[in-house]
Amino acid sequence: MKAAYEVFEALSEPTGVEEDWRYVEFSTPFSGLKPVSTPGNPLDSGPFLAALGTNSGHVRIIDGLVIEAESSEASVSRLSSLPDPPTSDRPIPVDHNKLTAAHAAFSNDGVLIDVPPNSVMSSPLVIEVQGVTPDSATFPHVIVRVGENAEALVLVVYRSAEGERLLMVPEIDLRVGDGARLRYLTVQGVDHAATLVVHQRVTLGRDATSRVGEVGLGAKLGRLDLRVDLVGDGSSSEVVGLYFGEGDQTLDYRIVIDHHGKSTSSDVFLKGAVEDDAQSVFTGLLRIERDAQKTSTFETNRNLVLSENAKAHSVPNLEILCDDVVCGHASSVGPLEEDHLYYLQSRGLNKSRAGRLLIRGFFQEVIDRLPIEGLEGPVSEEIFSRFVSAQEEGRVA
Amino acid sequence: MSIALKVQGLSVSVVGKQILKGLDLEVPYGEIHAMMGPNGSGKSTLCHVLTGKSGYEVSGQAFLNGTDLFSLDVDERARLGLLQSFQYPTQVPGVRLEEFLMEATDEAGVDPDEATARIEAVAERFNMVDFLKRSLNTDLSGGEKKRSEIFQMAVLRPRMALLDEIDSGLDIDAVRQVAEEVDEMRSPDLGVLMITHYSRILRYVTPDRIHIMIDGKIVDSGGAELADELESGGYDAVRDRLGLPKAMAAEKTLKPADFFTETPFDV
Repeated sequence: MKAAYEVFEALSEPTGVEEDWRYVEFSTPFSGLKPVSTPGNPLDSGPFLAALGTNSGHVRIIDGLVIEAESSEASVSRLSSLPDPPTSDRPIPVDHNKLTAAHAAFSNDGVLIDVPPNSVMSSPLVIEVQGVTPDSATFPHVIVRVGENAEALVLVVYRSAEGERLLMVPEIDLRVGDGARLRYLTVQGVDHAATLVVHQRVTLGRDATSRVGEVGLGAKLGRLDLRVDLVGDGSSSEVVGLYFGEGDQTLDYRIVIDHHGKSTSSDVFLKGAVEDDAQSVFTGLLRIERDAQKTSTFETNRNLVLSENAKAHSVPNLEILCDDVVCGHASSVGPLEEDHLYYLQSRGLNKSRAGRLLIRGFFQEVIDRLPIEGLEGPVSEEIFSRFVSAQEEGRVA
Repeated sequence: MSIALKVQGLSVSVVGKQILKGLDLEVPYGEIHAMMGPNGSGKSTLCHVLTGKSGYEVSGQAFLNGTDLFSLDVDERARLGLLQSFQYPTQVPGVRLEEFLMEATDEAGVDPDEATARIEAVAERFNMVDFLKRSLNTDLSGGEKKRSEIFQMAVLRPRMALLDEIDSGLDIDAVRQVAEEVDEMRSPDLGVLMITHYSRILRYVTPDRIHIMIDGKIVDSGGAELADELESGGYDAVRDRLGLPKAMAAEKTLKPADFFTETPFDV
């Protein structure tokens, strides 16, 4: 741990100049924050979990410390109770940035979830990750190992105490074994005063499949640094996400899909809207390594900019090191389309009603593809009510 | 006989170029009128201006059931009973046809239960049930888009319908299908203005009156005999008869749809 601490000391906090942090202000310096040794009082589960029917297990990590960990269909262990936790071969380099170094240096708990080979989860394992202690910096760690030919469902819900400035830096390490399938959904609903920087890695074995979803709603700065490594031949990855930024939120997505194995395929599909002074960032790199022949990959990022001061940055990239591949990207940034509004108005809908229908339609394409079922209703309602308030308060037309 | 649509002295320009040059027109309730004309004569512009599309300089007047249209917004005109079936209906991904029609009928004050029943019944009749859950005009062929427009018309029950080239881009079977659907909707509460470039749709729906528009004006109006004249001699025959100058090649502006009239081709 000393080594990690030294890396942490040596690195400076992101300034927004670094390529990986462009457009983003990291405004929660470590100097004003403290670690947590006793977890604060847990928050309730919030509106989204209530909509989910049954679950097959429940983990609660409060201020980086595990207070509950049980599952009927997977083996769940507290990292702090394991003599030799599998964190030494973590897929995220300690010196990736100051936050990953901080995580390596200060993370003191988390869970290891082992899904037995050939098993099929009947319902999602729910992981609640909450930050509650004011002015804290916490470092939850989650490892999911999906055994060969198993099928796992995992839902993660992030929340934080209302109005409290705090920093959460989780690391999520998802390892999908040969022939295994993982469906993993995040609902990021932390308070607008909190900063949440998630580093998430997916490693896919031969013929493994992951479907990863993200619903980005909360945080002053909410950042998802996601990397999917398609290591095994024939593996496939789908990443779908939606976000809606309001107030002075920054919702920041840094996604790298790296194809190593042959005949691998991937799709990234992210849609978001920003209003008021909010901004969103998407940088997506599709990388196809030298031996990854017969790969197909695509990424799409569509953004609605609903207010004059809102901003969306969308930067798709391709890096292709072999020749027999199919790949492409699509990206757009703009207001609601005039043609669409005109068509709906010409059938009698007034402009604000037409706008509401278009917002629903815009996000419905993503909501239909979320990897865990059951949350469509509340997610759709949350986005819709944000848009309606923005309309009623005159921030969007 | 009361008048559904009345247009008086309508002149329209786009970026300084005059398209419509003093147009007068009356479509009574219960009648179907056809508006025919060569490309670039201003037929579609007439539809757009009446519907309320922005970007046109307009003078003159238009009344729907006696109400001045040009003082109203697009949606207000629609709520008054105006409906345009678009030549190229906009694709709106994610907004399902059924959901859209529920909103539009609600806006028109139709009780939701009645709206649901009406949508179901009309969808059965038009064989459109499979389209209800699909996104508006998305992944539809040219013919399916036009049928979806006519289907919406049957559900929304306008007082005045502007049908902008519902026959273009369709094969002959599809033309017959949409034409018969329009003919079925004939009613004493509805006026229809059917814009078309070709006379073939008139084999399946018989208009009460045919207007010929050339160079931004209605140059002749009459009965079925006008369609026969066009069928045999084209617009040049009409120009000859009326002593109008022949179209100059340079004036003719072809649109992609003219090159692909038998193909579902979208621009």
